[in-house]
Amino acid sequence: MTRRIAILAVALLMVSLAWAQAPATTPTPAPEAPAAAAPAAPPPAAPVAITDKDLTSVPTPAADARAKGDPDGSLTGTVSDVVVADSKKGLTIADLANQAGQNRVAINFVWTLITGFLVMFMQAGFAIVETGLCRAKNANHTMMMNFMVYGVGMLAFWLIGFAIQMGGVGALGTLGSTGVLNGEYTMKLFGKDFGLWGQNGLFLMHKGTYDVAVMVIFLFQMVFMDTALTIVTGTVAERWKYAAFMVSSFIMGGFTYPLFANWAWGGGWLANLGGNFGLGHGYADFAGSGVVHAVGGITALAMGILLGPRLGKYERSGKANVILGHDIVLVLLGCFILAFGWFGFNPGSTLAASGNGALRIGSVAVNTMLAGMAGSFGAMLYMWMRYGKPDASMSGNGLLAGLVAITAPSGFVNPVGSVILGLIAGVLVCVSVEFVDRVLKVDDPVGAISVHGTNGLWGVISVGLFADGKSNYGGSWNGVNGSVTGLFYGDASQLVAQLIGVCTLVGFVFTFSFVANWIIDMFVGQRVSAKAELEGLDMPEMGALGYPEFELKASAARM
Amino acid sequence: MAIAGLIVTLLGFGISVASLGMSSSVSGRMVIVLVGLVVSLVGIIGMINPAFQKKAAWRK
Repeated sequence: MTRRIAILAVALLMVSLAWAQAPATTPTPAPEAPAAAAPAAPPPAAPVAITDKDLTSVPTPAADARAKGDPDGSLTGTVSDVVVADSKKGLTIADLANQAGQNRVAINFVWTLITGFLVMFMQAGFAIVETGLCRAKNANHTMMMNFMVYGVGMLAFWLIGFAIQMGGVGALGTLGSTGVLNGEYTMKLFGKDFGLWGQNGLFLMHKGTYDVAVMVIFLFQMVFMDTALTIVTGTVAERWKYAAFMVSSFIMGGFTYPLFANWAWGGGWLANLGGNFGLGHGYADFAGSGVVHAVGGITALAMGILLGPRLGKYERSGKANVILGHDIVLVLLGCFILAFGWFGFNPGSTLAASGNGALRIGSVAVNTMLAGMAGSFGAMLYMWMRYGKPDASMSGNGLLAGLVAITAPSGFVNPVGSVILGLIAGVLVCVSVEFVDRVLKVDDPVGAISVHGTNGLWGVISVGLFADGKSNYGGSWNGVNGSVTGLFYGDASQLVAQLIGVCTLVGFVFTFSFVANWIIDMFVGQRVSAKAELEGLDMPEMGALGYPEFELKASAARM
Repeated sequence: MAIAGLIVTLLGFGISVASLGMSSSVSGRMVIVLVGLVVSLVGIIGMINPAFQKKAAWRK
């Protein structure tokens, strides 16, 4: 009975969403009434130039009024607070214009920094989701990987990764940069320039990059990069040698992630598929379904294959055993923290709250929360129908899957599109987990390959399907005039650009990650010993238990 | 087998990039890119993963 009601509910939801997604029909204009003898409009008044002298007559709050305090806020933030360049000359038009420019950039700086701080907090969410989904005997090890990936990734990104990613991006319009990040290395292919990597910005000092705008974009991009790195620690949890984790994370933060990020966001060849080859607006990835999540998820797949499954995960017949995590409370709390951080991830990717169409931040935020909601519903209903119970950990993964999927299209789609693609993501993550677990036989304790890899790719593709052509970030995207428009709204070429991005992730990023980690395996060894794995990695790898006062009991089912 | 799989996976990426020079039509490029994607997936799912599964601990 429950199953029938659930099927009916999903069917009704899909029909209503499909109806709502259909483009609105334009009402037929009413026939024009014969022109009445309306009175002629007065001619527009001639513009009057304001001079510096006029500014002297702008009233300022009296000193004695200010001395009494300003409880209602009416005396604070007036003309007397505008910075004057020359106190002898007093306030000038130039002062006002400079103040307006600085205010815009200041708003954008503060917006970008605060949203970056939100993204940084996602590390806490990842840490407790992954630890909760692992066994208690590995709690210290899993938490330490999530803790130190922040530092290792940041070090690599500061030393070299940022230069590779953003060193050739050009002027950062919304952040008012002077354009010191102008060193993109390119090669000629098919008669066009293919941007491959940036060259300016090593140590944030190189070639004039000791610059206020560069610092803001570094912070924002750094926390994105760290998100990608922490995805991998989930898939290979409970069996990854800590020393190998350090080396692998450094390589990913310094090279793997920045390379793809340069191609997509740093002025590289994927971003220019529109300008160079007429493929829509080039590869469009608003906040990183591909750049962040698919890079992390694809690398996680490579690592999962390379390290092999945990002991006890598969029987000799190939049957998969379920190895339960130790704390579902941590898992769902972590999912909420991640959903909160996503409000930094997606709306922050405008890099602006003022100018260049940045007022769309409200739309981006709403799309984000809607897709997350739809994802959790999709996964919960799928599990309920298939296994008879609404599985908690998969509902959490559904929420994350919806959020991952909306990350790339969040700036280009409408709310109905967000719900549809989020709902698909919620079902997709469940199907993908089963495929990875039972068909590929790749052990992924937290489902990171499916949440971030599969749905990262789905998010990239969904831009090419659902982008509605209504966004306008300064009149162009990736140097192509107009708005990003997907197949369902009339531009098939955008889908081709997105699919080339998908091929790059699956073909190039996978190979690069696999080879790099295979080499690390040869020199450092990626996997802990069987003895350490059975004992739990807390003592052998970290020298201390995560829960020293608990008595941990091993059983055959939870080995 | 694993190395051959890596080469095939990378080849799929190469095919998708080559689509930019091989065709100027949207549908032509789309077909070539999809072929590239399938080739890469065959490399990963059909070659690299089975090569590593052969020596998995649970089979012993």
